[in-house]
Amino acid sequence: MTSRLISSSRTAIFGLVAALGITSAAFASPIEDRQANMKAVGKAMGALAAIAKKEAPFDAAVVNTNATTLANNVKESKAHFPEGSETGDKETWAKAEIWQNKADFEAKADKSVEAAMQMAAVTEEANFGAALGALGATCKACHQDYRRPKQ
Amino acid sequence: MKRILAAGIMAGGVAAAAGWVLAAPDPLPATALKPHTASIENGKRLYTAAGCLSCHLPAKDDKQADMSLPSGGRLLKTPAGAFYPPNITPDTETGIGGWTDIQFVNAVKRGISPDGRHYLPAFPYTSYSKMSDADVLDIKAYMDTLKPVQAANRPAELPLGLPVETIMRRGLGMWKLTSGFEPAEFVKDTAKDDIWNLGAYLVQGPGHCAECHTPRDWAMALDTSRWMAGGPHPEGEGKVPSLRSLKSRGRFKDAADLALALEFGETLGYDKMSSGGMAAVQTNMSKLPAEDRTAIATYLMSLE
Repeated sequence: MTSRLISSSRTAIFGLVAALGITSAAFASPIEDRQANMKAVGKAMGALAAIAKKEAPFDAAVVNTNATTLANNVKESKAHFPEGSETGDKETWAKAEIWQNKADFEAKADKSVEAAMQMAAVTEEANFGAALGALGATCKACHQDYRRPKQ
Repeated sequence: MKRILAAGIMAGGVAAAAGWVLAAPDPLPATALKPHTASIENGKRLYTAAGCLSCHLPAKDDKQADMSLPSGGRLLKTPAGAFYPPNITPDTETGIGGWTDIQFVNAVKRGISPDGRHYLPAFPYTSYSKMSDADVLDIKAYMDTLKPVQAANRPAELPLGLPVETIMRRGLGMWKLTSGFEPAEFVKDTAKDDIWNLGAYLVQGPGHCAECHTPRDWAMALDTSRWMAGGPHPEGEGKVPSLRSLKSRGRFKDAADLALALEFGETLGYDKMSSGGMAAVQTNMSKLPAEDRTAIATYLMSLE
């Protein structure tokens, strides 16, 4: 009886802790969410850039995985700039212009997703450079208007 | 007492008059220029390195304007006020079409307009003064080949208004005298090789990188003791990164890596090459001969 009580209270505590964990994850600030999201984008882009710089061999599977990750993350990123997240408890480099030109901001994200999906479909090394150039240009287009410089 | 006061006022008046005279623009005479056969190709290269178009663009919402021509009007907001860089296409009425060689050199290297006024240093003549006369005249020769655009200039919006502007412009002469602005050309460092010197020239002169990447002191002059150490963004967009210790801070592996970043920027996954106006700079850099990018990278990577 006692042991069952302990066991069930343990379960309850475990459940509570788990629930709290989930809650805190779901309530991570939009700023943290989008920074984690862009970190993933940067990592995927880094893997693709390594191929362009001949630091890694061309491998269609690696290209596909990273380009897909990139596309998914950029698609998801649009949800990480809700009204009211212009500033927060964490420093953000997002410019106020994002919220002033939301339609343009999201159109630029969509272009990036599109370019990443085209990159995911690349199977020949000969087509890789052009696809990376096109993809990177979409990163640049958005960052030049909507991201402040950071040290 | 009255006499002392009068003497004081007189002394003040004399000082002010002396200041007014001292602060007068000091243009070069036409005879200062050596005969020169201009190279349009070199002019195009330096026009690109100097990023002339990046600031002298037409206004963003000007749908009719050709964005490849420097007809001016794009807002440049600075702590000193809102500027609308002027039309520098060779239109004789609204542009700089009628300018003589010496007028152009005085504008670019000394910050003095053909009608003898100081330009506000939002125009980076403070850096351009490091350029050789020959290079500046090449830029003019290239710009003379551009299509003239008729576009009237929009005056700057300074917080203190126009009456103060005259005094402020003259005051700029004082600023030029005291802020360490020396209209002195770049001098080669003979202890360094040619590629380093080419890079130093392009960075310090036409590239005018220091105007944003070097912090300013109380007088808004570049604090050369913290050369390229980064600083607040001139348009208030956060911080401009330091360009020192790029290697030891792990920003770039070597000069070749930085040269690639200048050529491709984010199209090759190099982060931090698009924000705060750097995108336009990187686009300009991508159009330079490869040797120039290597030189710029070599010089920058040498800054510890």
